[in-house]
Amino acid sequence: MTRLKHSVRYVAHLASSLAISLTVSLCLLQASHARPLDEIIDAGRITFFVYSDYAPYSWSEADEYHGIDVDIAFALGKKLGVEVDILMRGADENLDDDLRVNIWKGDLIHRKVADVMLHAPYDPEVNARNEFAVLMAPYFQEKMAVVVDRKAIPELKSFGRFVTNPIAVELDTAGDFFLSNAFRGQLQDSIRRGRTFADAIGLYMDNEVPALMASRAQTEWVAKIATKRDSYIAQPPMPGIVRTGWPIGLAVKHDSRDLGYELQELLSQLLDTGELQAIFEQYGVEYLPPELN
Amino acid sequence: MQRKIWLALASSLSVGAVAFAGSANADVGIADIMGDQSTTEDIVSYGLGPRAQRYSPLATIDKSNIKNLFPVWSFSFGGEKQRGQESQPLIKDGVMYVTGSYSRMWAIDIATGEELWQYDARLPEGILPCCDVVNRGAAILGDKVFFGTLDAKIVALDKDTGKVVWRKTIGDYEAGYSYTAAPLIVPTEKHGPLILTGNSGGEFGVIGEVQARNPETGEMVWSRPTIEGNMGTLMGAESTMTGTKNESWPGDMWKNGGGATWLGGTYDPDTKLAYFGTGNPAPWNSYLRAGDNKWTSARIAIDPEDGEIKWGYQTTPHDGWDYDGVNEFIPFDMEKDGKMVKAGASADRNGFFYILDRTNGEFISASPFVQNITWAKGIDENGKPIFDPDNRPGNPAESADGKKGKSVFAIPSFLGGKNWMPMAYSQSTKHFYIPSNEWGMDIWNEPVTYKKGAAYLGSGFTIKPIFDDYIGSLKAIDPATGDIKWEYKNKAPLWGGVLTTAGGLVFTGTPEGYLKAFDDETGEELWKFQTGTGIVSSPITWEQDGEQYVAIVTGWGGAVPLWGGEVAKVVSYLNQGGSVWVFKVPEQLAAR
Repeated sequence: MTRLKHSVRYVAHLASSLAISLTVSLCLLQASHARPLDEIIDAGRITFFVYSDYAPYSWSEADEYHGIDVDIAFALGKKLGVEVDILMRGADENLDDDLRVNIWKGDLIHRKVADVMLHAPYDPEVNARNEFAVLMAPYFQEKMAVVVDRKAIPELKSFGRFVTNPIAVELDTAGDFFLSNAFRGQLQDSIRRGRTFADAIGLYMDNEVPALMASRAQTEWVAKIATKRDSYIAQPPMPGIVRTGWPIGLAVKHDSRDLGYELQELLSQLLDTGELQAIFEQYGVEYLPPELN
Repeated sequence: MQRKIWLALASSLSVGAVAFAGSANADVGIADIMGDQSTTEDIVSYGLGPRAQRYSPLATIDKSNIKNLFPVWSFSFGGEKQRGQESQPLIKDGVMYVTGSYSRMWAIDIATGEELWQYDARLPEGILPCCDVVNRGAAILGDKVFFGTLDAKIVALDKDTGKVVWRKTIGDYEAGYSYTAAPLIVPTEKHGPLILTGNSGGEFGVIGEVQARNPETGEMVWSRPTIEGNMGTLMGAESTMTGTKNESWPGDMWKNGGGATWLGGTYDPDTKLAYFGTGNPAPWNSYLRAGDNKWTSARIAIDPEDGEIKWGYQTTPHDGWDYDGVNEFIPFDMEKDGKMVKAGASADRNGFFYILDRTNGEFISASPFVQNITWAKGIDENGKPIFDPDNRPGNPAESADGKKGKSVFAIPSFLGGKNWMPMAYSQSTKHFYIPSNEWGMDIWNEPVTYKKGAAYLGSGFTIKPIFDDYIGSLKAIDPATGDIKWEYKNKAPLWGGVLTTAGGLVFTGTPEGYLKAFDDETGEELWKFQTGTGIVSSPITWEQDGEQYVAIVTGWGGAVPLWGGEVAKVVSYLNQGGSVWVFKVPEQLAAR
C-alpha cells in the first residue's frame, strides 16, 4: 500500500520534469480529441483499452469481457461514477505502437482511441520517447515464470532442463524471445509455440508439454485452471533475459493527465481497501506491489 | 453507337445499375485476359496482360504529340476516406472498374466520367493493417469483377450492377491477415479458369499462401503455403507438403514463418506457370532462425492445375534486413549472345535486378539497380548473395545490458530498392523501366521495449536518404547486360507503377502530384500534369472510339508517410486525395 502511494509521487515528479517538452508538443499538434477528466464526468462514460487473448488479465468469451484488467476498469469506473466501455484489441509490435493506436492517434480504419490504456508497462524511457502519451500509476509488479507439472519435472532449477523436455510458450512474446535465445539456441527444438496464449495453455493442459513459460500472473492462472495437473510455479535463473520484473501501470493521452492523476488516487484507494488484491486473487494470482527504483 | 446510348441512359438514372444488365456489355472470356496485351480497346488484367509487362502497343500518342495530352475528366472517390490510392483501373466496353482505399470499388462511364455504381465493403472493428488501407486493383471474368478487402476477404460483384455474387475468406483478419493485391485469373485444363490470390499480413504467426478458387462460386480448388513443412490442399483434401520440414528452419518455426504473398502474381501462357513473390521471414531477428528459411523472400513458380511448386528461387535467403521480396516476376523473351532465352525479370527489395530462366528458375544474372548496396557484396555465379557479415543487423539478445548495441547502416532500406510499385517492360526498346529509391537505414538493437505487457529487446531503425537532392529514381535497364541506360531523379521517393507504350513513351506518377511522360530512349521528360495530390498508383492506356486514352488514380499515401524519419521531410507537406484522372489528345490535335 505504501509502495503504491510512493509510486504516485514518483510519477508526479517525472511528469513535471517532462512538462516543458510536452508543452512544446501540444503547440505542434492539434491533438486528436483528448478527453480530460471533466469531459468524461460530463459524458458519464469512460473507455478503457485492454489487450485481447490475454488471460488472466483480459479476454472475451461469449461476448463478455473477463479478467483482472477488466475488473479493475469496472472498479475504477464505479469509483468515478461513470459507465465503462471496453476497447479490446490485439497487441501491436510493441508498446509504442499500442500507445499510438489505442491512446493518441487511433487505428487507420475507424480512428478509435480509448481514454485509458490499462496494463501499460511503467518505464521512464518509453515514457520519454512517446510525447503524445503519458505512462502513470504503476499498480502491480510483473515477472517471468514457468508453470511446471510436478510429476514430470519434480524440481526446476535451470532452463537446461528444456534441452530435452518440451516447453510451451505463446508465439512472439517475451518468453518466446528468451527461450529462442537461451543457451545459444539449444532449446530451439524443444519450444512448442502456441499461436495464441490459449493455444499454448492447450498444449500444457493436453499433457503435450510438462511446462509453460509466460508472465508470473499467467503461469499462476494456468496452474489454477489446469486442474488435471499438479502444477507449481518456478523462477529459475534466466540468463540473458532483458528484465526479470517490471512495474505495470496505465497510460493516458498527454493532455488528459488530470484523468491519470485521478485514477492513481482511485487505485490507491482500491489497494487500501484490499479490493485490488481481491481482484487478483479471484484469478489465482498473488498481488505483488510495483517495485520502483 | 448502341453502347453509348445505353451508357447515357444508364448514367442518367440515379442508380444506373439496374438498367445496365442488358446484353450491351459482353462478358470477359479467359482468352480476352490471356490476349489482353494485344487488344488495345480494353484492359481486363492487372498489368495489361497476364505477364504484367505494362506495355501497350498503342502509338497514337507518341513523342511528337504528347504535349497535347489533356484531361477529359476527373472522378472523386469522395467521402472522408482518402489515404493511399494504389489502384490500377480495368477497362471493358466503355466502363472503368477502379478500386480505392478502404476496400471500395466504382464502375464509371468513361464517356461521361459519371458513376454507374459503387461498392463499399463494411470493414469490421479490429483490423489493424500495418501499411495503409490501400487496394491495388480488381480482376474481371465473365459477368463478374473481383477484388480483395482489408479484412482478408475476396468479393465477386456483378460487373453491371455492383451487387455481391459471392464473398469468401482468404484469411482471419483477427489473426493478422489482410488483402490488398489485385487477384490473378489463369486458365487450367482440369478446372477451367481459376482466380488466384496471395495473402497479406506482417505479424509473426502469418504463413504466406496462394489460393485458387472457382470464379463462378468462390469455392477453393487448391491452396499452397509458401513455407516448408506446411501442407497444401487440392479439392478439399490435403495434397502435398511444401518443401521438406526443417530443411531450412529450426524447431517449429516453420509453423509461423511469414513469407506472405501480398503483392499477388503474374502468369505466363507459354510455360503455363503462375509466379508469386514471397515476403520476409518471421520473426524479424535472423539469429533466431538459422537456415535459408524457405520460401521467404523468394520467387516461386506454381502449376495452376494442382498448386504444386515447380521451382523456387530465394533472392534474400536468411533475410535479416526485412527485404520483403514480394516483387513481381515479369516473363519476357530475352535475346542474349544471339540466343532467345525464356526469361523472367524481378527488381527486388534488396536492390538487385534478377534475370531467371522462367521455365526452371535457374539463375541467369543479377545486377544492382540502386547505388551503394551494402548488405551484400554482390550475387555470385550461382545466384547466392555474397553477404557482408559486418552489415547484418546485430542480435538484440547480445545487448542484454540495456545498451543500444551494434548499429548498422544498410542500403537499401527495408522499404527497398523497389517496393510494391510495378515496373514495365517495353517490347519496342527491350528495356525495363524500374521505379526505384535510393535510401538506406540505420538499424540498432533497442535497449528495452515491451510487447503485450512484457519486456524484451527489439530493434530500432530509421530510414535515411543517400543523396541530398533526390530519393526517387526511374531507371531504364537493359536486361541482357544490366546496364542502366538512363535515369530520372525525383526528390520524393517514387511509389507508383510504370507504363510504357509503342509510342515511345514511359509514364509514371510522383508523390509531388505529377503524372509524367518520358522519352523511352533518352529519359527526357516530355510532358507532365499536376493532379493536385500525390500519385502512388499505376497508369494505364487504351483505345476507345479511335482515340487513345491515359488514366491514373491519384491520392497520396501508402507506406512512406507511415515511417517518417528523414524521409518525412520531403513528403510531410503532401496533401491526401482520392480520384481518377482520364486524359486524351483531342482529335483535332492528334491529327497534327
